Amino acid sequence: MEEKEERTVIRKDQLEISLHNEKKLIQEGTIIDDNPLDLSEPFRELCEACRKGDLKVCQEKITEGVNINARDPYDYTPLILASLCGHYEVAQLLLESGALCERDTFQGERCLYNALNDRIRNLLLEYDYSKSTDPLQPLAAHTASLLVREQPKTSDIEVDAGDETLYLHKFVLAARSPYFRQKLKTSPETTAWKLPSTIPPQAFGTAIKYLYLGEPPRDLRSGPGTGFTESEVFAGINKIAKYLETDTLVDSILDSGDRRLARQRRTTEIARGRDQLEEWFRDNVLQNKIEIDTTKVSDIKWDHNNPIFADVILQADELPEDDLYGEEVGSTGLPIGPIESSGANKSQKSVLFPCHRAMLLRSEFFQTMFNSPFREAQMKDHLHIIPVDCSPDVLEIILTFLYTERADFALDVSVEVLFAADMLFIEKLKTKAAVVISTLGSGSMSQAEAAKTTQGSAEEDIDIYAIIRAAWMTRVQRLEEFAARYFAYRLEAHIDSPEFAELIQESASRIQKRQETDSIELLDDIRFYLNERFRLRFDDAGIEEMMEESAQQQLIDQVAADEDIEKVTSGVEEIDLASKAPTQANGDRLPEPPAVNGQGHHTVIRTLDGEIADDELSRDAINYQILMEKLDQILERLNLDA
Amino acid sequence: MSMRARQKIRAPRRGLPANGGTNDFELNWKTLSGSLSRIHTKDASELSFEQLYRNGYTIVLIQRADELYDRTKQLEKEWLCGEVQRRVIAGISPSLLLAKEVVDVQDQATERREAGERFLSVLKEVWDDHQTCMKMITDVLMYMFIVEKDRIMSQKKVSIYSAAMALFRDNVLRASMPSSDNISVADVLKSTTLFMIQLERSGHMIDRTLVHHCVKMLEGLYETETEEESTKLYLTSFEPDYLEASAAFYRAEGKRLLETVDAATFCAVVYDRIAEEKERCSYTVSNLSESKIKEILDNELIRNNLAEVINFEGTGVRVMLDQDRINNLSKIFALSARVDPKKNHLTAAVSKRIVEMGNEINAASFALAQTSAPSKSSAPDAGQKKDKEKEKEKPVNQVTSSAIKWVDDILALKNKFDDIWKNAFDSDQVLQSAITTSFSSFINSTPRSSEFLSLFFDENLKKGIKGKTENEVDSLLENGITLLRYIKDKDRFEAYYKKHLSRRLLMKRSMSMDAERQMISKMKMEVGNQFTQRLEAMFRDMTISEDLTSSYKNYVREQGDPDQKRLELDINVLTSTMWPMEIMSNTKDGQIELPCIAPKEVETVKQSFEKFYLNKHSGRKLAWQHSMGTADIKATFHRSNGKVQRHELNVSTYAMIILLLFNNLSADESLTFEDIQARTRIPDNDLIRNLQSLAVAPKTRVLKKEPMSRDVKPTDKFYFNNDFQSQFLKVRIGVVSGGANKVENQDQRKETEEKMNNERGGSIEAAIVRIMKQRKKLTHTNLISEVLSQLSARFVPDVNMVKRRIESLIDREYLERVAEEPPTYGYVA
Repeated sequence: MEEKEERTVIRKDQLEISLHNEKKLIQEGTIIDDNPLDLSEPFRELCEACRKGDLKVCQEKITEGVNINARDPYDYTPLILASLCGHYEVAQLLLESGALCERDTFQGERCLYNALNDRIRNLLLEYDYSKSTDPLQPLAAHTASLLVREQPKTSDIEVDAGDETLYLHKFVLAARSPYFRQKLKTSPETTAWKLPSTIPPQAFGTAIKYLYLGEPPRDLRSGPGTGFTESEVFAGINKIAKYLETDTLVDSILDSGDRRLARQRRTTEIARGRDQLEEWFRDNVLQNKIEIDTTKVSDIKWDHNNPIFADVILQADELPEDDLYGEEVGSTGLPIGPIESSGANKSQKSVLFPCHRAMLLRSEFFQTMFNSPFREAQMKDHLHIIPVDCSPDVLEIILTFLYTERADFALDVSVEVLFAADMLFIEKLKTKAAVVISTLGSGSMSQAEAAKTTQGSAEEDIDIYAIIRAAWMTRVQRLEEFAARYFAYRLEAHIDSPEFAELIQESASRIQKRQETDSIELLDDIRFYLNERFRLRFDDAGIEEMMEESAQQQLIDQVAADEDIEKVTSGVEEIDLASKAPTQANGDRLPEPPAVNGQGHHTVIRTLDGEIADDELSRDAINYQILMEKLDQILERLNLDA
Repeated sequence: MSMRARQKIRAPRRGLPANGGTNDFELNWKTLSGSLSRIHTKDASELSFEQLYRNGYTIVLIQRADELYDRTKQLEKEWLCGEVQRRVIAGISPSLLLAKEVVDVQDQATERREAGERFLSVLKEVWDDHQTCMKMITDVLMYMFIVEKDRIMSQKKVSIYSAAMALFRDNVLRASMPSSDNISVADVLKSTTLFMIQLERSGHMIDRTLVHHCVKMLEGLYETETEEESTKLYLTSFEPDYLEASAAFYRAEGKRLLETVDAATFCAVVYDRIAEEKERCSYTVSNLSESKIKEILDNELIRNNLAEVINFEGTGVRVMLDQDRINNLSKIFALSARVDPKKNHLTAAVSKRIVEMGNEINAASFALAQTSAPSKSSAPDAGQKKDKEKEKEKPVNQVTSSAIKWVDDILALKNKFDDIWKNAFDSDQVLQSAITTSFSSFINSTPRSSEFLSLFFDENLKKGIKGKTENEVDSLLENGITLLRYIKDKDRFEAYYKKHLSRRLLMKRSMSMDAERQMISKMKMEVGNQFTQRLEAMFRDMTISEDLTSSYKNYVREQGDPDQKRLELDINVLTSTMWPMEIMSNTKDGQIELPCIAPKEVETVKQSFEKFYLNKHSGRKLAWQHSMGTADIKATFHRSNGKVQRHELNVSTYAMIILLLFNNLSADESLTFEDIQARTRIPDNDLIRNLQSLAVAPKTRVLKKEPMSRDVKPTDKFYFNNDFQSQFLKVRIGVVSGGANKVENQDQRKETEEKMNNERGGSIEAAIVRIMKQRKKLTHTNLISEVLSQLSARFVPDVNMVKRRIESLIDREYLERVAEEPPTYGYVA
């Protein structure tokens, strides 16, 4: 209803017309189908995960490179499934990974139409194409901005084109155009070119802008005053395109009428540009990295004239092997360990990466550095070697991201990436690290299992205490929430440990530092998710009548009622487990099997305090009470009001 | 369990201390503070950004950001209090402290100026250094600022940059001089800057960029650490004094200018000052003050002096208007517009001048009319013929031409002011209405304006447009219409115009019917349909009459009247309500006059036409207006020598009747005035005039009169003059002062006035009834105002007259009084 004020949902007939037109265009080959049919197994698994809300699998599949905008035989896209089934986190992940939800398209409208609740619908609207962009857009915007950026100076070649001089970057030219690559290979030390007068400067400018992934020009800046007619400019562009072996250049200028077509072309072009940059990055930057003893780093001298046009070298030091366990000193300390003086017998290794400042500028850290009057910004005979405080692997991940926008890394380095990205101010990478941790790290946290997690039952991949402290330190809200959720679903395993109490204490003190409020953020979050943990079942069971009955009662009663139902469900699951049947035996579309009454009475059911409960229903009710009480006890012990 | 987890996922640990201990903090801080000091001394080129950043980063990670903040602040404070303060104070020479007020001697000024520039450049340098340093320090500590932003905010702390700026303010600018406690560096800065500005205002060159730089510094500093816009040091501590000094300066300047220069120079100087101050705000002081300085200029220099300047004797607006000094006027106008959207002084001056000039025109034209009047009345009796005749003609023309001159003069004046308005006053609305009001006021101040204007049209339509192109005619008429716009009593104009028009139509004096029609349509556009209705009806009557005449001729031919001697008849049938009343009226002094007796020949034709006409339109009544007609007669003169001379005479209808009397008389027989009167019953007035034109006018003496004198007495005898001489075959005998349109004399005007009042009374009553019928009930004041607004298009009704009409309507039971307080009327259906 509230949407009505801003944008009304399109009428069904309008939708059908646009669908028809779209199909026609796709058949004619004018535009590419945004949502191609995909019958592969990985895609099916992704869809399945979206139905169930399995973040981990979703993240894995996305990393594998499954097309998240494809559709299944029933015309469902992963995003539609996730929003239909009400998995907010999954929908968010998909959108962040580039799933399309564009108004005025059939699939987009359908997605909005199907959203389970307003929260998800608003999320979808937020990501409407007009606001969100191609995930590669930041990269394209950055390279395009290199053409106009004046400070700091990063260009290494000047081209005289008519009245103006273009300040360009050899590595971009080499990466994007085979012609330039060849030409620069033969004479890498060139610092200036002059454009032949036969080529209109406008045409050259357009081509360069294209190489730098800029938006295609609205008009060709021809006509009176420029000395060239439009057709001359166009012919020039044509000629240059052939010359530079950039065949899509002309297309990008020609058809810019249709919004969707233009977008697709641009998306394709940026993706191509990215691939070219990546290829060049891997072949040159990564190929030329140097592994060397840390003590000998200062011996490395690179001239400004080098075949890969690097203008700065980044250094990352290897960790000594035994440092891995340095942290075991105590669980009371910070998750980040002390510097272990490396054994004298082992010489420390360092890795050096020759890089381009133009790309490093994407990090605010480097941007400030190169703009400052400090040493790093000054021109010296040889390239500066700048140490970066992280491991070589992580530095490589960071560089890969800066050059290519790719951020695929494993869970085990993600915390380090998080810290490094935080230090270097690369927000997007930080978010990505947080996403990796919160999705892959969720372990086998399908709600059903998480609920019955007891001590030692599940293998944990991560140290949640370290994670939450990292979250605090790097200020990632999402990670804090993740940790709280994590705790909530496994509270039994942690609630009694002193480490947990300490954590609560820490959270409280964090808040007290900020303001004199009487809430403890972590605890509030845990309570919220604890509630969700029990409530969820109730919703999924879909027994509306129960809800209505309890609607009149007090909140506590309602919670109790929720739990009752939940127990029925989990009872069923336990039976299933006992009979070695797969957990999802009867789960098809919904993550939870529908409630089946009357089967939960056969097993002995114990609550957390070891009492025997009548059934699962009362067991969970008691468990909930116990957990809540324990939280209160912790507070009392810590002398905190909450 | 947790141990196993840690193997799986680890956090970076390099460069981080084990427990955030003091040692690590001190270690990092030591490196950092050392480097910061090197930054202060401009020795930073060898420092590594990465290393400093890492120091700061580490300190933040071990949760010691607060301490880092405080220590950095402390470091800055020490630096500023020590080295920087010393440098600035050293830069102040004693001369800056001494002459704080006015500089009397020139040498002293030069000396002070040099000292001031020295001081300002020291300050500028110190400020620049401080900014650069803080920029660098902020860069190095950027992790702290970004990461700890929220916390810093919540602890009511500001960024280190702002804090350092505040430190600069307190420890450098507000440092007091060692010699005297009361004077701080900021005071010296202020007095020096003001001194510099003063120098520049009095025409000296100063180092603008330097002053500007120091002012910029004040703009960049704030009273509080939270840096609200309104607490800029510039605004709080510099601007008030600056504005005060400026106000004083310009007050004095205004006074000086008033005493020494004329209006035009004044404007020019003010203009220069405005441009100069604007420039000063951009290049020497601050744009923040631009509007305030402008206000001061407006106030001190313009608003306070403008009235005086406008009314400057000999050079003020009056003279500019007289001499068409468009440039100066436009300057005056622009200045007025700056300070007063209504431009009161200017409009008053312009209005006054217009009314003055208008009154001059009025007076001139009346003077002309006056000079002619006595000569007319004092015209001696007959005797000396030709001279007197001429004199008699002259006054008539003079009065008319004075009317035309009046109109021309006003038009010229109007053109002049239109030009000024367009070129100097920027086509300003306020002035336009002022000009319009002024014109309207002096035009309406003379009661004869309507008549004069109508005469102007009459003259032009009769003669003036001869040989002129269509465009010229058009613009001529347009000019007249422009004046019509100013005339409030449009009904009076209509009456005159109607009268003049009827003469033109009936006597066929109009030059071009096209022009007449054009005129009507122009008036229609200007004043409205209602106004021209009757005029158009007059034209219609003329056209219908032409048809009538020809169809009557056909009728006569068909009748086959054998009488060959029958008179030819051209007839104009006029609708009595549409034509001027005095032409139509058969009454004189309330008594119905008997129609005059026409000779038999004429009478037959009359009857024949009446029969014809009433056949066509039964139920109408025809009244014959002999006074308006003309006749062509063939007269035969038997000379004493036996010759017979024939002339065709064009005479008025009355003259024809008179002449026909002589047909039956022998040459030596005479008729007395009384005889003629008895036999024709022509009204005395007309008879006298016709006899005068037949017997007295020198060229057209068809009759002889005895005794031969100008005046006609009842006993005078008239003979047919067989010796009538004329070189033309056709002779036109005009009626003395009867036919031509000219300025009315007193009596006539009174008569017109009276008629007008009657007519107005009708209009007022009609309006009252119309309004009341619609409203049913209305208070007295509302009714009056509605009536006034309804009638304003035609004339400005006299309130007393409206009151009388209301009374009269109540008497006649159209209205009734329904309440006394407030007085209210009701409509009686």
